[in-house]
Amino acid sequence: MNTLNKLKIVSSLALLFSASIAIAAEAGSALKTDNIRYEPYADAKVTGSFNRGDRLEIIKKQGAWLQVKTKKSTGWVRLLSVKRGASATSSGSNITTLASGRTGTGQVVSTTGIRGLTEQELKAAKFNEPEVQALEGYTQTAAQGQQFAKAGSLKTAAFATIKAPKTNSAGAAK
Amino acid sequence: MIKLNLAKNTLLASLLIGASFNTLAFDFQGAIKDAAKEAVKKQIDPNSGEDAAKPAADAKATDTTAKAEPPEFNWQNPSKEEEISLGREITGNLLGAAPLVKDAKLQKYVNSVGRWVASQSDRADLPWHFGVIESDDLNAFAAPGGYVLITKGLYKKMTNEAQLAGVLGHEIGHIVKKHQLKVLQKQQLLNIGSNFLSDKYAKDNKLVSKAIGSGAEISARSLDKTAEYEADRLGITFATRAGYEPYGLVDVLQTLSQTSPNDGSVALLFKTHPHPDERLAALGDAIGDKLDDVKGGQTLEKRFYKLK
Repeated sequence: MNTLNKLKIVSSLALLFSASIAIAAEAGSALKTDNIRYEPYADAKVTGSFNRGDRLEIIKKQGAWLQVKTKKSTGWVRLLSVKRGASATSSGSNITTLASGRTGTGQVVSTTGIRGLTEQELKAAKFNEPEVQALEGYTQTAAQGQQFAKAGSLKTAAFATIKAPKTNSAGAAK
Repeated sequence: MIKLNLAKNTLLASLLIGASFNTLAFDFQGAIKDAAKEAVKKQIDPNSGEDAAKPAADAKATDTTAKAEPPEFNWQNPSKEEEISLGREITGNLLGAAPLVKDAKLQKYVNSVGRWVASQSDRADLPWHFGVIESDDLNAFAAPGGYVLITKGLYKKMTNEAQLAGVLGHEIGHIVKKHQLKVLQKQQLLNIGSNFLSDKYAKDNKLVSKAIGSGAEISARSLDKTAEYEADRLGITFATRAGYEPYGLVDVLQTLSQTSPNDGSVALLFKTHPHPDERLAALGDAIGDKLDDVKGGQTLEKRFYKLK
């Protein structure tokens, strides 16, 4: 009860806050099928689910979790299950936003302005020795790197290399 | 000598068999890059009194033995120095297309972050170099031996140091796993092999001069998807070990995923990488609950060097 009330208060506060700066809850879509949980913990009770491509609203972020609202339920999911923005997931439901050149954040992106580094440009490129030397001139030693970390209060964390999952929901090698 | 031939032929055979799983293989025409060529040249020059002294003419004059080639780049098992010289060549070409942003503070800052992240990898011993290049593209590049370049366009999309650490970590991951180097090795060895097959110990051992393709074209090529996913996982791994908030790379991928594929600034990136949505989903699968216990990671937005 208590937590539920808290949760309600917190989420309504979040809504109020976002309303006050004139931004509605951010739109998002599901990158994969996943469960919605009552609290932002892996072992919290499952209160709903969504499917890959489903639209949802992102209410807020907490650590590795997002509080989201779907048509049917509200709750918490891991942030890597959700794509931010209104545009559809690449293989999700078909949405017209892509064609209109609008991104999910509502900002209009130029579709003609910037021309990127092309393959042709890269092919035609000539070796530039002074630039390489300039690049090498900025090199920092391991000790300097450590000092820099210390200045930012960065503390190393023991953390095992993330391995490939046994099964993929996306991007399984062809 | 004979033994050597045998060994080479065996290697060739296994390469040809193995090639079917390699999406980039069989590109005989475009196989050798100028970058590789140059690196080979430079490799040769300083070393040897004898072989380097006899240039192209020598190549014709000899030879029936397989070992007629100059003491070339050891493609089967390149040394760290060879790896670095190759990466330097590729990087120099890339810088020929897009020079460094002339902002020493920025470059030093990026080197500081990158060096610290690289120190969390298995190859902390490499002389790591990082640079921001003049391009509005959203992209980043890695070359063998510890060279990492990121475009100004991508840098400007970031808002904190953890994001930069994640992106640099991805590129560091490519280098640690020698992804590009392996592609170049395969191409080069296949090419050597094809010469053996077609010419049967022919005089033509000018493999180095047979180069087609040039400049930094190698930087415009795709690695296979699994290499990209691996680099994503390593980027997060290294950034997390370095004390950063683990989701910096994820933030950037989210930003990229919101960029219209029609936008020219992501044309090359989208061509050479899986779509950010797929990368996010793959990361989600790999990470699961592994980051649940990571606490105290920093984003350091205050320290993040702002570009106008």
